[in-house]
Amino acid sequence: MPTVTIDGIKVEVEKNATILEAAQKAGVWIPTLCYHEAVSRSGACRLCMVELEGGDQKQLVTSCNYPVRHDLVVSTTSEQAVKARCGVMELLLARAPESEELKELAERMGVLQTSFPTVTESQRNCILCGLCIRVCEEVIGQSAIGFAGRGVDKAVAGPFRQPAEDCIGCGACAAICPVGTIRIRLHEEEQEIEISPFKSRNKLIVCEECGAMIISAQVSEQALRKIESIFAEFPHRLRLCPQCRKKQTAKKLEESKVFHKKVTVS
Amino acid sequence: MISTDAKFTSPNDIAAFARQLRNKSKAIPKVVRVCIGTGCAAKDSRKLYELFQEAARKSSRDVRVETKNVGCHGFCERGPIVVIDPGEIFYQQVEEPDVAEIFRETILGGRILERLLFEDPLTGKKATKAAEIPFYNVQKRVVLSANGLIDPTQITDYLAAGGYSALAKVISSMSPEQVIEQVEESHLRGRGGGGFPTGRKWRSCREASGNGKYIICNGDEGDPGAFMDRSIMEGNPHSVIEGMIIGAYAVGAEQGYIYVRNEYPLAVRHLTGAIAQTRKRGLLGKNILGSNFSFDIRINRGGGAFVCGESSALIASLEGKPGEPRAKYVHMVESGLHGKPTVLNNVETWTNVPKIINNGGKWFADIGTEKSKGTKVFSLVGKVVNTGLVEVPMGISLRRIVEEIGGGVKDDKKFKAVQTGGPSGGCIPAEHLDARVDFDELTKLGSMMGSGGMIVMDEDTCMVQVARYFTEFLQKESCGKCTPCREGLAQMLHILTRITKGEGQADDLDKLKALAELLEGTALCALGKTAANPILSTIRYFQAEYEAHIQQRRCPAKECKGLFRYKIDEEACKACGICLKNCPVDAIVGEKKVPHKIIQEKCTLCGTCWDKCPFSAVLKV
Repeated sequence: MPTVTIDGIKVEVEKNATILEAAQKAGVWIPTLCYHEAVSRSGACRLCMVELEGGDQKQLVTSCNYPVRHDLVVSTTSEQAVKARCGVMELLLARAPESEELKELAERMGVLQTSFPTVTESQRNCILCGLCIRVCEEVIGQSAIGFAGRGVDKAVAGPFRQPAEDCIGCGACAAICPVGTIRIRLHEEEQEIEISPFKSRNKLIVCEECGAMIISAQVSEQALRKIESIFAEFPHRLRLCPQCRKKQTAKKLEESKVFHKKVTVS
Repeated sequence: MISTDAKFTSPNDIAAFARQLRNKSKAIPKVVRVCIGTGCAAKDSRKLYELFQEAARKSSRDVRVETKNVGCHGFCERGPIVVIDPGEIFYQQVEEPDVAEIFRETILGGRILERLLFEDPLTGKKATKAAEIPFYNVQKRVVLSANGLIDPTQITDYLAAGGYSALAKVISSMSPEQVIEQVEESHLRGRGGGGFPTGRKWRSCREASGNGKYIICNGDEGDPGAFMDRSIMEGNPHSVIEGMIIGAYAVGAEQGYIYVRNEYPLAVRHLTGAIAQTRKRGLLGKNILGSNFSFDIRINRGGGAFVCGESSALIASLEGKPGEPRAKYVHMVESGLHGKPTVLNNVETWTNVPKIINNGGKWFADIGTEKSKGTKVFSLVGKVVNTGLVEVPMGISLRRIVEEIGGGVKDDKKFKAVQTGGPSGGCIPAEHLDARVDFDELTKLGSMMGSGGMIVMDEDTCMVQVARYFTEFLQKESCGKCTPCREGLAQMLHILTRITKGEGQADDLDKLKALAELLEGTALCALGKTAANPILSTIRYFQAEYEAHIQQRRCPAKECKGLFRYKIDEEACKACGICLKNCPVDAIVGEKKVPHKIIQEKCTLCGTCWDKCPFSAVLKV
């Protein structure tokens, strides 16, 4: 197993593990944005740059996707590495000036402000890390959204920049978005879920007992397709909100007299 | 005797068939070659070709004339070009009405039409042959040697000129190892811009584990003003294909791709035709030339994104994904197309391969400098007398290219800089004009070899505008994947734009330098890493010009609107009234016989008076 010396700390990692994984093992923090363990690596945001000290040539590399194939000496604190990360962060702050999440990360890195003006108007606050696209494709299996356009005008969007028909309203993109740009909106009247800013809407299942909105109908359908259940009532139970589900279960248990002692459900 | 469309089943067939073709062509001694390359075609040379064909058809039976459409001759400035054999008579700027006369006088009568020959502007001497023209005699045409000679749509033309003899040699007498040794010995370096040693790339791929290796030809030439690869693909497609087959044999690949941009319809057509012909002849497909080696090529048409010329973006595009680069921490030769070991080389690199095999690696290594061998094709454009496609030995000075081949700067203006290396290249000023064409030397000067664009600029060119132009190009073509390239270029363009508008700020140069450094260190691909070169090199050599813009709000080259004024030279003004009549805002006053004047407060700096004045009396000050 190759050894990575990171800021003086030695760790052994599996061959082809990344520098970032080695850093995590060594307890060294490296800021990341386009990285998430649930999806494939991209190396797009360039925030995780570290300096590789191999031989006579020093080299800046992205730690999230640099494979460790032999012993490496890495510095996260060298002047070049810090300058690179902070420079990238300043550019990102100019792109997404309103993101609290980004500001928080910048502060942790010691970047308190950006010297650059906000020059882009398109999809303000999206840093184009692509995590949403990757989670939609690789984990959810829908590929409802993708990149459109290029350069500063690049955007994450549904096909032809229209509301994505393949969106099932699962909200994974909103959950993974590191800058809080993708949001879930609930439309009470229409009983629909909307993923903003993609404008895709999905019908929600409403609890058969109390009328509360539970989950997108398509997500439920997909979930059912993936699950094999011998419990006949399972599909029906899915149409109840968690609260009502608990109540009903408790009631059934009581009726079947499995327990001698009375169970009270709050 | 091999029948004219037979499939070759042994390497020996190639030489035998070529001999047969040459004997046959001796029977038709009169040949008209009409250039249908990019430049000449734009001047409707196809029509000339049709007219010659018609004339040949109509002529009496005892005079057999062969008309050929051929690829780019290179001397695009003087197109359309028509070359007549015997005698290699080189006619330039041929027009439709000339065809009948050429046919009657030169082809049938053997008389030379003086007025269509090239005249040396310095000596006034007329050149009958291409070799007598300075534009050609300084060049060394290896890659382009058959361009302008053979008909790219006929495999027989290529075969008659010795084509596929290198492949025959490889299959009959060389092991893959020996092929790689020759390429290594040649010290050929990638012509697409990177300059990576080709032999080393091939060896790594051969040694990489895994089957199903791929060979790719990068024909996605996207630099503005560059047409080297285009002219090779259009004018001699078989030379690219032959190089690829040899490469496949050397590394052990069975499938190849040519990635060519769809904006090159003629290149696509000629390559498609050439591949069909090679398959029919048994030069592609199963058991090539009767051996155990099988290989085939497919064409993939690119959509025109500049970034797809970057190898990993090209591969992503080939795989059907968006054309975006990926990290190359694991090299293509290990994991390229579909995760398989892949050799990707540029069109010009592939074209060099058959030459190296035929003449030996040592022959190639004898041309050029210590670390840059062979020749390089450049598209020489801009403010130069002779624009066109030139091929020079490595090590030649930029001065010789600009002054001898290019004929110097147009309109007797002063030379200011030459931009090499495409949009991410740099500008080299007059004091470094004696620098040699060499990968490392150009890099040291803050520019690069690139794929071979060469733009000459004169004294009227504002270097800040040059930097702005290239930065805008790169910003528009940035794929937008990585932060520094996407955001950084936009920020740099923003700063440059305000400088050219006279709104530059005191620390703008420092900001540009800091952003440039960030881009170089952190961008994902080579295009992003080098994207700041136009800015860095112009700051390096023309810092005073930047400072004039920022501090004095003045454009020394008088190109940036608003940073200079128009003034009428009272002595030169003939009071003709043309400027007065044409001024859209009535900012010019004057009467007959009284020199005119511009009222500066009213002037919108549109430049109409400057354009219209027949006496050049309107000055930029």
